Amino acid sequence: MDSLHAIGFYVSAAVSLAGGLSVAFLPDRLRRGIALGAVAIGVAGIYLSLSAGFAALVALACYGGCAVLLAGPSYRIFESVTATVWRQLGAIASAVLLIALAYAAYFGAFHHANYFGGDFGSAALGRRLFAHDALATEAVAALVLVALVGSTIAWRSRDRSR
Amino acid sequence: MTAGLVAVLFVAAGLVSVGAFIAAWRRDLTIALAGIPLMFAGAGTAFAGVSRFAAAPAGGGQLLGQEVAVLLAVAALAAVVLGVGLAGREGRR
Repeated sequence: MDSLHAIGFYVSAAVSLAGGLSVAFLPDRLRRGIALGAVAIGVAGIYLSLSAGFAALVALACYGGCAVLLAGPSYRIFESVTATVWRQLGAIASAVLLIALAYAAYFGAFHHANYFGGDFGSAALGRRLFAHDALATEAVAALVLVALVGSTIAWRSRDRSR
Repeated sequence: MTAGLVAVLFVAAGLVSVGAFIAAWRRDLTIALAGIPLMFAGAGTAFAGVSRFAAAPAGGGQLLGQEVAVLLAVAALAAVVLGVGLAGREGRR
């Protein structure tokens, strides 16, 4: 990886991690949506610096869509009844997860991996998505269909009950 | 200046952990939904990085990680759509 790609990678990583921490701690939904949009831009930048241009475009659209959904007017507050001690245990578990993953990354003998640069690759990626691994693509398409139908039914039943 | 696979995996670990922290820490379940895209983005980053650094340049191995990253991004959007729809049915303004 040359210096330009490395700088882009580190800047994008900093943007995405800072955006993620901002989502965790910011108080209002508009700022959280902007922070999640920053995560989308950062992740797209990471993919771009890894020479995965088409994946960067899809990530920008999908994670940006998540940001729009979570910052939009359809947002509703839905409080959980989980006790504070369980939430604190979950936070500690996420810290333990970070330590475990970082340990595995550092001591996993990945230091001598070579970088193979590539082009945009949308045609080859499309051939893999729709020909070689069509079943996985169909499964994700079914998941999207179920999510859209379920969300529509939920909203319609809410409007009917009012 | 260069970035290796270890740096990519560190960033992926950070994204997954921040997503898990959001999902566990926030009391509002609609905000906790925001942790799902972060965790999926971390997993996609690890897949794209491993396929870019560790896979052989021939044989299509490099594209497998990009493919999984694309599918993970779409699955994250579907999960958030469904979660926001269900929270909109039961939640309050």
